[in-house]
Amino acid sequence: MFSVVHLPKKLNKSTLLNTIRLSSTVLQTQDTVPTLPDAENLQKNTLNHPDYFSVHNLFTVKDLFDARVHYGHRDGSLDERMLPYIYGSRLGHIIFDLDKTAEYLRRALNFAAHVAYRDGIILFFLRGAQNSHLVEKTAQECGEFAHTKFWRGGIFTNASKQFGAVTRLPDLCIFLNTLNNVLLQHTAVRDSAKMGIATIGIVDSNCNPNLITYPVPGNDDSPASIELYCKLFKMAILRGKEKRKIDLQL
Amino acid sequence: MALLRQISTKAGINVKSITLRCCTKMLSTEITDEKLIEKKQGGYAQAFDKFESLKNEENKEPYQTFASLLRNSKLIDLGDPEGKVVKGKIFHVVGDDLYIDFGWKFHCVCPRPKKHASDYVRGSKVRILIKELELSSKFLGYEKDITLLEADCVLLGLAQDRSKNVQ
Repeated sequence: MFSVVHLPKKLNKSTLLNTIRLSSTVLQTQDTVPTLPDAENLQKNTLNHPDYFSVHNLFTVKDLFDARVHYGHRDGSLDERMLPYIYGSRLGHIIFDLDKTAEYLRRALNFAAHVAYRDGIILFFLRGAQNSHLVEKTAQECGEFAHTKFWRGGIFTNASKQFGAVTRLPDLCIFLNTLNNVLLQHTAVRDSAKMGIATIGIVDSNCNPNLITYPVPGNDDSPASIELYCKLFKMAILRGKEKRKIDLQL
Repeated sequence: MALLRQISTKAGINVKSITLRCCTKMLSTEITDEKLIEKKQGGYAQAFDKFESLKNEENKEPYQTFASLLRNSKLIDLGDPEGKVVKGKIFHVVGDDLYIDFGWKFHCVCPRPKKHASDYVRGSKVRILIKELELSSKFLGYEKDITLLEADCVLLGLAQDRSKNVQ
């Protein structure tokens, strides 16, 4: 166990939990395949199933519509790479195609549930004071981690130097908005891509979806939308964890 | 007894044969030599079933496509947002600044008016006039717009709650 004195001052709860988790003497179960007679078949069945955790029916297009997910920014701040996801523009304001958003969101929820099923570490990101507390609470409720403060450069890329020991990086980063407070892309998007960490990101009309593994085009500015995303990801992750308990008969 | 009769009419099997298979003591006392009589539902029973199923169907909303949801939405009804009056709700107060949410992507921030100043609290319904839905424009030297993530509105006053439901 670390003594707290040696840790850098800016360390927050999420990274501290990361390191404690690694250095603890509790057995890490994520790499071991369950020693049941049909373990290989179980793994094949879970991975080949199109919707093993039934996350496809967690929401409807009407729910997305009511949570204002289809609202985008103005035409002037549109990123050309977001054009495939857009329905059109209403008097200068971009509208997202919710049918496409629903499809992408289902893929993202399924992936998050699978990562939780295999005991992966999930890190939520959000930059924006209005909804920070909600995201941190969501992460706590589903037993995962959140980082909603200023992101220092080398947290992923220079982890062993910054934390003073070998660190385990997250397996999935969920960006509830991909831009930071000065409307530039969050450094962690690029760094996750560098370190081979899968990312899910809510991309608004002024964002760049290129580096994100599972982009979800939609509104990231209204509190109603962020609440909906938090609720959906929490439910997907909890379902993944429940299934893990059942399948491994814990 | 009534349940047994329902089962027998649906399955078309004699009452006795069912009870022989079900090994419960409760059912064995109900064996009778009654013949199978196909019960035609009386007028009241028919009406009862009809209105019961009607109640269940009301809960299921018809599936709407995104295109129709958008076409019938308040945003499209608004038309050109400049100069339109909408109803909003104050969700945050910081000193004399009121943060008002009116169902759009962004909120607007308006200063507290001098008249009825104490009535403007968190949860108050207000009427606002929209000047711009998003404060964003292109600055010299930049390719893309810079946004302030806020709408620009004028606070007209308090809104009367005309909803029929008593809250």
